[in-house]
Amino acid sequence: MRIRRPEPHTLAGAYALDALDGRDRARFERHAARCQECTQEVTGLREATARLAVAAAAQPPPALKEALRAETARTRQLPPVTRGSHVAGRTRPRLGARRLALALSGAAAVAAVTVWVTASLGPPAGQPSSSQEITAVLTAPDAVKMTARVRTGGTATIVMSHRDRMLVFAAAGLRPLPTAQRYQLWLIGSRRDRSAGLLPMPSHGMTGPVIASGLQSGDRLGLTVEPAAGTPRPTTPMILELTL
Amino acid sequence: MGVETGPGRVSPPRNPWAGAPPPRPDRADLAALLARVAVGDRAAFEAVYDRVAAPVFGTVRGVVRDPGLTEEVTQEVFVEVWRAASRFDAGKGSPMAWVAMIAHRRAVDRVRSEQRSADRDRRAASSVIAYDDVAETVEDNLDRERVRRCLRALTDLQREAVTLAYYGGYTYREVASLLKVPAGTVSTRMRDGLIRLRDCLAAGR
Repeated sequence: MRIRRPEPHTLAGAYALDALDGRDRARFERHAARCQECTQEVTGLREATARLAVAAAAQPPPALKEALRAETARTRQLPPVTRGSHVAGRTRPRLGARRLALALSGAAAVAAVTVWVTASLGPPAGQPSSSQEITAVLTAPDAVKMTARVRTGGTATIVMSHRDRMLVFAAAGLRPLPTAQRYQLWLIGSRRDRSAGLLPMPSHGMTGPVIASGLQSGDRLGLTVEPAAGTPRPTTPMILELTL
Repeated sequence: MGVETGPGRVSPPRNPWAGAPPPRPDRADLAALLARVAVGDRAAFEAVYDRVAAPVFGTVRGVVRDPGLTEEVTQEVFVEVWRAASRFDAGKGSPMAWVAMIAHRRAVDRVRSEQRSADRDRRAASSVIAYDDVAETVEDNLDRERVRRCLRALTDLQREAVTLAYYGGYTYREVASLLKVPAGTVSTRMRDGLIRLRDCLAAGR
């Protein structure tokens, strides 16, 4: 037996511990899709990791339950998978975990309100995004919402649709920049970084929404501070980086 | 070690508790509750929350550390449980395993996409503590005692690899570099360690 790198099978433990990153995870999932034994093994190991979770139990603050009540009230549930492949058991939860409540929690609600305002006032000058496009993404059947903190302050919310290869980006509370600088959005692919445009000036602490199109699978989203005219590629460190 | 790999290894039983006493009632209940959640039963959702909020919150907190972020991620996890309840498949594991998987994945994905190396270094120290202080907070947790005992039964390397990955949120490559051990060794120790842990926990039920 020649072993060059860990056989995918030996990664079952690391996979069950969520200790595989990007490429390794994808490689294992490809392998597991054809390996019934691996899938079963991971299932068994997940029972052990679940016990680790139970052992780490700690009471959440009571307010959390209250917040969830409101959240579930406005979150549409997924229909069951009627004819899912068995691999789905392994790969879907991952997607599932990354897909977030589509509509309208917290910042996204704000984004939606902003869309409303944008729709009635017309798109801000120089914005390539139209409210129609934004609405299309927000209501796409595969829309996924993510929120993340921006390292220099503020919270970003994106809603993306891989089907439409577009995402809507909005942020709240971004640190104000001197006039010589702007926030610039990037789609970071395996081959090169593509600018997804400059963010508009904030209004009442809200930035955007803007739309970025041409999303490719494996892209990450990045945000940097750049000279006001924008740059062809990032020149400063990412202050936000999200795996899409 | 008796748990070695290789093509001839007997595959684990489909039901990890096969041969053990029947599932505890709370397991069955949780599955039934999730089925109710799948049809939009909010009361059932709250019952699920009451059962699993502490493990979810504790696990997420161990990985992300930041209190605000912990609450945010915990909330996302439960919104996901609500949304995806119809996707829970009892044939593919216990409800607790399903919820824990969503929680842990979500937590590690979040720190990996957000945190820079400085933060992670800080967590290197704390993840070890996490295993010790894993929850002085919850009263009467027999599970914790059993998990501790079974963790102690692992080799040092197995235990460190498993706890750094699970409670610290590290990738196996990161664990390898923290422990100064080849990555391939870490991945096999994680697997061996989890298999042992699984068997030890199943035996103790």
